[in-house]
Amino acid sequence: MGDKGGATLARRFSNAVSRNTLRLRVFSVLFSLVALTIVFALTTPNFLNFQNLKVIAFNSALLTIVACAEALVVITRNLDVSVGSIIGLAGFVAAKFAAANPGSGALIVIVAVSIGLLLGLVNGLAVAYGKVPSIVATLGTLAIFRGVTYIVGSGIEVPSGNLPRWMIHGADATLLGMPLVVLLAVAVALILAFLGRGLPILRRVYAVGSNPGAAVFYGLRANRVVLFAFASCGALVGLAAFLYISRVGTITVNLGRDWEMTALAAVVLGGVSTTGGSGSFIGVLFGALILSTIDNGLVLARAPEFWRMFIQGVAIVGAIALDSGIERRIQAIFKHGKG
Amino acid sequence: MNRAIKDHSWELFIGGMVLLAAVWATSLSPYYLNAEQLLFSSRNLVFTGVMGLGLSLVILTGEMDLSLPSILAVCTVLLSKASAAGLPLPVALAGIVLVALALGAINGFLVAALRLPALAVTLGTMGAYRGLAFIIGSEVGYTGFDGRYKWLGEAKIGASSIPVMLIPFALAVLAFMVIMHFSTFGRRCFAIGNNASAASYSGISVVRTKLGAYMIAALMAALGAWVFIGQFGSARGDNANGVILGIITAVVLGGVDINGGRGTILGVLLSTIFLWTLRNGMGLANIAGPIQQLIIGALLVTGVLASNFMGGRIEFAGPRKKAMTGPSAP
Repeated sequence: MGDKGGATLARRFSNAVSRNTLRLRVFSVLFSLVALTIVFALTTPNFLNFQNLKVIAFNSALLTIVACAEALVVITRNLDVSVGSIIGLAGFVAAKFAAANPGSGALIVIVAVSIGLLLGLVNGLAVAYGKVPSIVATLGTLAIFRGVTYIVGSGIEVPSGNLPRWMIHGADATLLGMPLVVLLAVAVALILAFLGRGLPILRRVYAVGSNPGAAVFYGLRANRVVLFAFASCGALVGLAAFLYISRVGTITVNLGRDWEMTALAAVVLGGVSTTGGSGSFIGVLFGALILSTIDNGLVLARAPEFWRMFIQGVAIVGAIALDSGIERRIQAIFKHGKG
Repeated sequence: MNRAIKDHSWELFIGGMVLLAAVWATSLSPYYLNAEQLLFSSRNLVFTGVMGLGLSLVILTGEMDLSLPSILAVCTVLLSKASAAGLPLPVALAGIVLVALALGAINGFLVAALRLPALAVTLGTMGAYRGLAFIIGSEVGYTGFDGRYKWLGEAKIGASSIPVMLIPFALAVLAFMVIMHFSTFGRRCFAIGNNASAASYSGISVVRTKLGAYMIAALMAALGAWVFIGQFGSARGDNANGVILGIITAVVLGGVDINGGRGTILGVLLSTIFLWTLRNGMGLANIAGPIQQLIIGALLVTGVLASNFMGGRIEFAGPRKKAMTGPSAP
């Protein structure tokens, strides 16, 4: 009798742990962010004022959107290293379009997002239906999309002065004291996190990444789910590209170069498992914040720029080790609970 | 005979592509087909080529190493410090070999012993090692290398115009052929890449083998660094930045399965030569860098797509994977 009660208790405990797995991970990310903030607040005098915190939030906003997009793909146990080139092509074409048609209004957003969607579909088709491993496929499209941008650009640049005024003003607009871009980025992360609990297609994204074989046995069309992840990643990155072009001084064909690595870093720091199936978009939001906090703190501390690379790199490795430590702990509890 | 052709059909295919690329380059530019030109530009395939060999071994075990170019940068910067301090070359080389082995061992430890995901971990160490290179060497580049340090990367054999660096490259290729295809270690790498837990149950130490693969790859980055400083005459923290994607392209196009377990060094060598031929020809024809990348990227994707759709006809060489039970991963 007592033995049975113990077993029930253990099961209840393991259930509680499994339910809180994601929360635990997000918590560890949040904890690192707070720890980082405290360190910088103690070492650099101007770090902890509202103005500077706003700068950090502003700088991490675009990264948050791109990293959330990347996370969608990573959760399906795939990888998209072409997001930097998607920013480049979608952003450059949208900028060229905006400069040529100054009165086109919201159409510019649609242009950027639909180009992103199209490029995401190309990636998704190659991976889901062409069976090309995602790192190989997107490595190829990284080069292809950038090359196409170069052809479209044909040696010209778009100065931001040629863009419609509302885009330039929109980049600096605030609502209740917060930049619009920041609110938008937070909204993207929150909506994805919220929908991830209930929206069937997002549940399937997690299911396919968690165990592709089992997902297929349960009747999920894994191909479609992977295609969906890549396509929506592309569309979100297209949106980020639109926001990006209204912020940079001159839009060149090199727009967004190397963003794939930073986005991946934010995803990994945010606790998304690179082996798929788990991760929270709130964590990704914090991951992006951590990266821009490190950037900002080091600038204020007048540390040479290259320390950033070192610390970021070590932080990524540390975050992965922490995540895997937590995961193994949970698995051990599960084993114990079953036995 | 038929069997041999079938087993190596991918290598034959890539070999054919090399010839096609050479013909194409000849038609593209009248300057291409010239021994001097070819030998001079062959320098461009060496430092990435040796890292490609090392990466093949790591990918063969089913892992990934994005940090190799960063290890190269740490080594070039260390060589610059050694040269500035007037250390004799053998001491400096011994130093960078030890450092490279240590950095490779860190990667291997994190991936193999702690079982962390390789792609994410080496993304981290890629940044960390690159930062380390800058921290050691500051942002200022070093160009005052001792002539003896630069010899390997800039000298030519006797009165000919054959670069000396082709010798270590050829030796490395031979060494990797032996390691991968004729040694116990290589067979273990194949076994682990095909099925790590089965390999483990059959008594192979997965941790030790993967650790070895990472350390050998890092060693190749150190060799690349020695070539690099002579070829470019300079050392700075951003050396070889951004070449990793090209190296992965060479390895994958060479028929090494990105999921591990299949591949040959011959294939990697041929695809390295293929990519070099293309780049050389396109460079001579004044085709802009991004367009060159576009063409190579398109070849990578269509190459893998074609081999997927043709199924049995053009196959990646190497031991076949056992039929998977259940549907394959998307």
